[in-house]
Amino acid sequence: MWNLFRNKQSSRDVAKGRLHLVLAHDRVGLEGGRLQEMRHEIAAVISKYVPIDVEAVEVQIETKSRETELRVSSPLPARSSG
Amino acid sequence: MGRAIVITSGKGGVGKTTTTCNLGAALAQLGKSVVLIDADIGLRNLDVVMGLENRIVYHVVDVVQGKCALPKALIKDRRLENLWLLPASQTDDKDALTPADMKRLIAELKATHDYVLIDCPAGIEQGFKNAIAGADEAIVVATPEVSSIRDADRVVGLLAQQDIPTKLIVNRISAHLVKKGDMLSQADVIEILALELLGAVPLDEHVVASTNKGTPAVLEGKSPAARELTRIARRVAGLDVETVRETGGGFFARLGRVLGLTPANAA
Repeated sequence: MWNLFRNKQSSRDVAKGRLHLVLAHDRVGLEGGRLQEMRHEIAAVISKYVPIDVEAVEVQIETKSRETELRVSSPLPARSSG
Repeated sequence: MGRAIVITSGKGGVGKTTTTCNLGAALAQLGKSVVLIDADIGLRNLDVVMGLENRIVYHVVDVVQGKCALPKALIKDRRLENLWLLPASQTDDKDALTPADMKRLIAELKATHDYVLIDCPAGIEQGFKNAIAGADEAIVVATPEVSSIRDADRVVGLLAQQDIPTKLIVNRISAHLVKKGDMLSQADVIEILALELLGAVPLDEHVVASTNKGTPAVLEGKSPAARELTRIARRVAGLDVETVRETGGGFFARLGRVLGLTPANAA
């Protein structure tokens, strides 16, 4: 309750956040480096179809219950007129 | 036909052996006949935690190697009518047993006992594979810490691959630290591991003293940990026990709950 008046996140919440992230990666067995490789390849594929900023492409592994999913997000530019 | 339950955790030092010892004793107190198997070959400990270390003559590897018949290697606990220990060998290594050996052994024990509890070694290598080989069910013990939960999650995945139904015990939880925001709550651990909870055992100094003496805490009276371990044993046995309460809050929080002022799930 007092946490409401503090700006600091409790160590319990920090632990929860860290665990969610670590377990998502553990569960699919994908280490950070491989994930970045995948991100670059996905960005390259998207840019074949739409001109995008490849650095803005994000990939995230999320897990809820024991289901794990991959989220890819990329800002898409509006079609240039002409 | 009995049930074989493996108690496992991935990480060492989270209380697997103490949990096995107490669940076994509590089930025996309920009138069940129980055999505890120490599957930690080379690093046996269940015997000292149970206080039976001076009575070991034969061990599990002797049985597998045909040096003695299975009933001869079982040590009967003198404090309880129907509790036995099958100790590990201290000199062999983990390859002295195979998953097939364990399956055979456990099948034989299940024919004559209600429960076979297997104390699994830490890790996920050969010793773990042996320990889960003959198990019908698993109990994962995790403390509310990032390292323990991470390893537990790994083990939960491996048990799921083998189609072994798995439940959770959260061990050494401190209501005080949870309330302060410095410890994961049992609800947090359940959410992260996505397992059904059998119980949350509070951090309790009585357990340290019981282990020093080699007496299961559940035989020593009504310390908070002993009470919860007894409740867990009743749940394992399918006896009607109230659903697990959140270990949070002291007298006033409980009073609040009774008066309907505090939600029962507030952690």
